[in-house]
This record gives sequence, C-alpha cells and structure tokens, in this order.
Amino acid sequence: MFVSSSMTSEVITITGDASIFEAQEKMAKHTIRHLPVIDADNTLVGVVTDRDIRSALPYSLFNDSDSDAGREKVAALKIQDIMTRDPMAISPADTIQDALLLIQEKRVGAFPVVDENRRLKGIISVRDLLRAFTNVLGIGEPGTLLCILVTEEVGQLKKIVDTITEENISFGSILVARYWQEDKRAVFPYLLTLNVSRVKKKLKDMGYHLLDPMDWYMDQLPKHQP
Amino acid sequence: MKKTGFLYDPRYLLHDTGPYHPEVPERLQAIYQGIEEAGLLSNLVQIQGQRADMQWIEAVHEVAYIRRFEEVCYAGQKSMDTPDCVMGSDTFETALLAAGGVIKTTEMLMQGEIDNAFCAVRPPGHHAETGEAMGFCYFNNIAIAANYLMRQWDVGKVGIIDFDVHHGNGTQHIFEKDPSVFYYSIHQHPSFAYPGTGREFEQGSAEGRGFTKNTPVLPGHGDEEYGHYIKRDLLPAFEKFRPEVILVSTGFDAHIDDDMSDVKLSTQAFTWLIETALGLAKEHADGRLISVLEGGYSLKRLPELGANHVRALLDA
Repeated sequence: MFVSSSMTSEVITITGDASIFEAQEKMAKHTIRHLPVIDADNTLVGVVTDRDIRSALPYSLFNDSDSDAGREKVAALKIQDIMTRDPMAISPADTIQDALLLIQEKRVGAFPVVDENRRLKGIISVRDLLRAFTNVLGIGEPGTLLCILVTEEVGQLKKIVDTITEENISFGSILVARYWQEDKRAVFPYLLTLNVSRVKKKLKDMGYHLLDPMDWYMDQLPKHQP
Repeated sequence: MKKTGFLYDPRYLLHDTGPYHPEVPERLQAIYQGIEEAGLLSNLVQIQGQRADMQWIEAVHEVAYIRRFEEVCYAGQKSMDTPDCVMGSDTFETALLAAGGVIKTTEMLMQGEIDNAFCAVRPPGHHAETGEAMGFCYFNNIAIAANYLMRQWDVGKVGIIDFDVHHGNGTQHIFEKDPSVFYYSIHQHPSFAYPGTGREFEQGSAEGRGFTKNTPVLPGHGDEEYGHYIKRDLLPAFEKFRPEVILVSTGFDAHIDDDMSDVKLSTQAFTWLIETALGLAKEHADGRLISVLEGGYSLKRLPELGANHVRALLDA
C-alpha cells in the first residue's frame, strides 16, 4: 500500500529551459498531462501540466497558425516561465491512501514522488491510484458481492468471516460502509465463488439481514441529494 | 408441431459434485420429470449423449487443459482450478458425453432430422475458458457447438443468446475477436454477481468489435426490465447480424425463487425469452435453434420451467 509500489518510476521529464512546444510534443507522444521539471542532477524544480500550456498559448495560435508574431512570442517562452515552482510532492514511503486523500484535497491529477533531497523518484497519478484500488477491491477476479447489514458492535465481522471461511470460500475483498441508521453498518464481502446460495442461507439463519443492494442504494440516495 | 430434439442421458447424472453443491444431478432429473409429467416426452425426438470427437473439443480448448482435466479427474482430485469446480471420478467422461451430445444434436439439426432442440446436459459450459475450469463449467458446450457449425457445416454466422443469470465469460472470450459469432448476454450486473464480467462496454475486440453485446441487470429487477432490455439490445442487434443458426445458453437461475441470484423473473418470463429467441430464429435462421442448459438451481421450479421450455420449442 505504499506509493513506491504503485507509482510510475520511469518518468517522462523536462527541463526548465525547454520550449513549451517541446513539452506539448512529449505530452502528446506519451498521452500524459503532467511533466515534472528537473535540473541537471534530477532535483525537482517544478511541474508543468497541459493546462499550464493551454493557458500560455494565445487564442490566435489555434485559429491562425500563420501568425508569425504570436508564434515567435510563444516559442520564446520557456517551461520555467509557465511551470508551478516548488510543487507539492510526496514520498515513496507515503501510502496510497495518503496520495488518494491528498489528490482529492488539492484537486490535482498527479503528484511527483521525491526522496528527502527532492530528487525525483517517480510520479503517481489518478490513473495509478485507480489501478491500485481496482486491485484492492479484487474486482479483476471472478466473484460475487454479498451485502450484509449488521449492528455495529465488536466481533460482527469475525462471525461473518468465520462463516464464509467455514464454507471454504476465498475473499477478494471486504468493505464496510456507513448505513443511514447510525448504529448499523453495511458489510460487503466480495467472494471468489459462484456458489453463494449455501453461505447466504447460513448467514440468514444466523440472523443477519442480507440487503438487496438496490435497497441500500435507494436508502442512501436521498441523503446525499443537495 | 415442430420436430424438437431432446438431449438427455442418465450418464449426465454421474458427474458428482458432493453434498454441498448446487449444481447437482437432481437438477436434470427435475427437468426430465417435468417434461415427462407434462406428457411431452413422446412428442420429442429423444437423443442420447455420446463421447465428443476430440477434434471438436480441441478446436476450442487448449490440449494441455484437456489433458490436465483428464489427469486430475482420474487421479481422484476433488476440484479443479477453483473450489467451485468440484469433481468426481466420472466428471471428465460426463463432460465429454455432454459436449458430444450437443455436437450430435447440432448435426441432427443440420441434417434436417430435427427443427430445434433442448440439450439437458451437465456439467454446464459457458464459464469455461479455453484453458481454465470456472463456475461449475469444464468444457464450453455452446462454444464447441458454434465452432462445429462453422467448421463442419460452413455456417457463416452463428448467433448466441445467453440468458443464464451469470455472464458467460468463457463464451464471450472465445469469440470476442470473431465477427462470425455474435454473443449476446443478459445477466445480473457484474458488480453484484459472478463472474464480474459482462459490462456494457465489453463489445468485442479487433475484427470482432461490435459482435459482443452485454446487458447487465440490477439486483431486484425482473420481467419488466428484461422485456425492455431485450427489445432495446437483442432484437436490433440480431436484426442487423442475421444469424444462420441460433444457439441459446439457457439458464433458469434468474427465476425469483432461485437463490443463486437477486434477479426476479417470473416463470412466464422464461417462456417469453425462449419464444423471443425462436422468433428470431424463424425470421433469420430458418427456425434453426439449439438450446443448451447452463444454470438453474431451484429444484422446485425446474420441472415446470423445463416443460414450458420444450413446449415453446414444439410450438415454434
């Protein structure tokens, strides 16, 4: 769950004295939107995004590519003129949860990853996080999702896990979510099997309420409406 | 009345899944009994299973997988690839008889001995991948039949309709690059149900792009939604594709009383589904349709569902 295992280590970078056309070409070629800007010894000095470039390009360039004056002016612009200096970066030892919360809070699409000397080690983007969480959810593997409503008290999850384990069923993942009733939780075990009817019956016989996932969805929905 | 074939063989009961498994021999007995008690048996052309010619299995499955299946089965191993695929010493032989029976039925259809057919076979097939047993399935019976139709009978376009409540991942993957097979499946939404594939954006790849279509159905939905989705998704797709033969992966597990899913179809909806498939076959495929059993686990409902199914085939 560390950034180091989910980040992209082979980073496409650029230097501060490069032109913005060069940056544009690099982004297009690699279908990326963030370029860490580094100096000669691989120290992070900035970040440039496709949005920075778009804001720097005058509108006339899109409309009239023959406008020499405008083009020259843009060609003279260097990455260091338009980049974000000393951008926020994270450490390879941070967790992907850290990265997720930070990306959400700062509203950015990617963070450079640097060591304690701000040497660039990688980049972690929303795309990398999605891949990591798809893996955490276990949804790449065939399985069935159960939805169980439990009263919040110690030991509930153990009983559920024990019951499922007794049936010799492996877990892809298990999620616990809030429910609209304060003292209840919805538990979502993702089971790597097609054979769920017996375990469902067993859980019901133990007194658990198996939710129709749509009921859960409908109950939640109005609460979140503005 | 149509000449409807009915593939059934007592040897299909020999695949032993042990005491705690839903895919049991009693499923077939229930279906057989339902058809018998409805007085329909004498109207059907009864077909017995036979061992499949290996070339047709090998045309779909990796040789290494077939060997491995045979070996682990005779070595007394109790399951294969996943704890879902429980087996006994007769499982390999039963799977060969099932695939072979479906091939034989397909041959009879193409020779004009029958107009359509229902194959009540075990083990089922639509989850089986080319090299992996999955979801109670070992040999992909319907994929083997589709392939046999194309290679042996030069059928140019095969349409597969899969209304088992679980997505037929195996069948989809086997044909996803092949524009001569259109795979349509309607099933419980993969975020809630096995096997976690069959999302709307899965539409085939390479040459086969546009020849796979999936309709995920949310838990709790039933007849009304199925009616709407089939008209929206299946009918236009098959109008355009114009299959020469239709194969149906028939699962009865979307029934409201079947606890393997949360989809709530009525008994009548299953009749409507097969009648719709038969309508498409009549329009495009000279009526040629073969239905092959996949899932369906409610022993209480299977007799009636089985009888209604063959009645629709006879009345087509």
